[in-house]
Amino acid sequence: MARTDRGGERTGTGVVAARNVSRTFFLGEPVHALRDVTLTLEEGSFTAVMGPSGSGKSTLMNLLGCLDTPDQGTIEIDGRSVGDLSGAERARLRGREIGFVFQTFNLMPRLTAAENVSLPMVFNDVVDADRRERARTLLERVGLGDRLDHAPNELSGGQRQRVAIARALANEPTLILADEPTGNLDSETGREIMDLFDELHAEGRTILMVTHERHIAERADRIVTLVDGQLERIEDVSDVVPSGPTVLDDRDAPTEPDGGEGA
Amino acid sequence: MRIRESIRISWRAITGHKLRSTLTTIGIVIGIGSIIAFMVLGGAFEEDVLGGFDTEDQTLVLVQTQGEVDGGFGFQTFSDPIYTQNDVEAIERIDGVEFVDPDGTIPASQVRRGSETTVSFTVRIAKPASFSKNVSGSFVAGEAFADEGEAVIDTELAESLGGNVSVGEEIRVTFTDGTRRSFTVSGIYAAENQAPGTGTSVYVPADPYYNVTVDTHRGTEAIAYSSLTVWVDSIEDLSAVQSAADEYFHSGESDAEHLVDDDKQIAVQTFDALLAQVGEIFDQVTIFIAGIAGIALLVGAIGIANIMIVSVTERTREIGIMKAVGARQRDIVQLFLVEALILGIIGAIGGVMLGIGTGYLLVGYAGFPMIYPIDWIVIAVFVGIGVGIVSGLYPAWRAARVDPIEALRRE
Repeated sequence: MARTDRGGERTGTGVVAARNVSRTFFLGEPVHALRDVTLTLEEGSFTAVMGPSGSGKSTLMNLLGCLDTPDQGTIEIDGRSVGDLSGAERARLRGREIGFVFQTFNLMPRLTAAENVSLPMVFNDVVDADRRERARTLLERVGLGDRLDHAPNELSGGQRQRVAIARALANEPTLILADEPTGNLDSETGREIMDLFDELHAEGRTILMVTHERHIAERADRIVTLVDGQLERIEDVSDVVPSGPTVLDDRDAPTEPDGGEGA
Repeated sequence: MRIRESIRISWRAITGHKLRSTLTTIGIVIGIGSIIAFMVLGGAFEEDVLGGFDTEDQTLVLVQTQGEVDGGFGFQTFSDPIYTQNDVEAIERIDGVEFVDPDGTIPASQVRRGSETTVSFTVRIAKPASFSKNVSGSFVAGEAFADEGEAVIDTELAESLGGNVSVGEEIRVTFTDGTRRSFTVSGIYAAENQAPGTGTSVYVPADPYYNVTVDTHRGTEAIAYSSLTVWVDSIEDLSAVQSAADEYFHSGESDAEHLVDDDKQIAVQTFDALLAQVGEIFDQVTIFIAGIAGIALLVGAIGIANIMIVSVTERTREIGIMKAVGARQRDIVQLFLVEALILGIIGAIGGVMLGIGTGYLLVGYAGFPMIYPIDWIVIAVFVGIGVGIVSGLYPAWRAARVDPIEALRRE
């Protein structure tokens, strides 16, 4: 669909990149949420971001998701620098190039599953018939072909997250940004959702996932660890020894939303 | 974002809160409904009073004394006797005037027919020819009086005197000066439409019963009348006669202008002009009352704005979601404006229906003819839509400025 024009030549520089990005919030005193972070996401890569609460994970997500702009440095998506865009253009870019998956699902409560999946296409002016067809295809893709007309409150947590994933895929985005996608789910459902992410990864989609849990992070290609707003390390998962399902930082229970910085 | 999508999503938001949306809309419904109801009622009353007159065929010019109403709308007419016999003769000399029928009342306290009596009636003087000249009235029985001792009564008085009055019956009138006279009923007259206060009358010839006199500026004593009805030969002469008569009463030659009080004027009008003047007053009063009803509409508008602001606060998270999936500020503004607009349109339609329904009931109860104030209905619908937009603007602007990062973090 929208993505067919993307050539392979950008693979070298990364399809999404944060270059020397800094973001400071002023809450009485300056809080350096991110300091000179450079991160490149190759097309088709699966990156996990870890770090304690307040380490800048959410700020990085907001910047890559075009919800926020950096004070210094640039965010590039598909070769375009986000900083030069107007608010409306950024909204458009966000709708087309970014698919969000949230810990709390964030579905529109009064819209059906199919309508929720259609929503990004509504704002992207896709015609009605195409939208419905695509919403159906995507919901079938995530295993909810029989739940098209269910309201979110008629679905289980895992089903809601599947709807959210289908919604994230609606406009064939360049990047899927997942913020603790299994954080509100029991471990069995969480595993199913992670299997779905694996499948998306296998299809060649670019994914960035924020998580607290090491065993979740280890399903990615590489793990980026942020500490105090700075890039602590980048590990390739193939290099590290798999660990058990331990929580990285016990101050952050996985069910809590990550709202440390900027709040 | 396509407008159809906004309508769909906004409609979902409205139906998602049925009670709240209904209560919001009721404000607009009542506001617009009361305006329309007053417009229907005012228009119907005006139609009832004025609508029956065949204004185009009335070949008459009215000479009346008018003055301001204290602290109210429009004008009132006075019955001070200032139009002398001299003035009557002067007007009758104008080309195109057929005759002048001077109007006046003779104070009377009681009218009796057999054992039936009534005290609420008026004795008016008239010329026999006036009855046939008046195109909106006719005799249901008999004819105009021909001689002294005969009188015409109208159908209302006949009703007050027990009904079934036949020509040739005797009625006895007790005048305020104590004299009593018997009249033979020569005819019973029905005016299709009468200005308020002119019904229930006995019509008698001026001579010999009417003898109100005034002292003129020329030092003479003369019989004087309250107003003059100038009958004109044909419709073509109407405006010429009107301006000639008007000129006469403002030339310094007439007795009336010397007798008229300083705060009153002599008005020389065709019947058409008089009705237009009365109609204008009706309109003013109606608009004034509807303006008061407009306050209800203002309250309705504030209601919409209030609900929308609450709605924005409540839906902050949804706004955040929409922004995250690509909604621009203008998309959000559009959504909330469309929502306010829909509430306004529904309110306007409901208000028009309520207003017409209420108006219909009231008009039916009052016995007026039903009218549909199309222009006001159109205005009301646009006002409703305008109220929706205006009251939706601020909430929509607030919604557009919601920070998606904050909104999505909310629980």
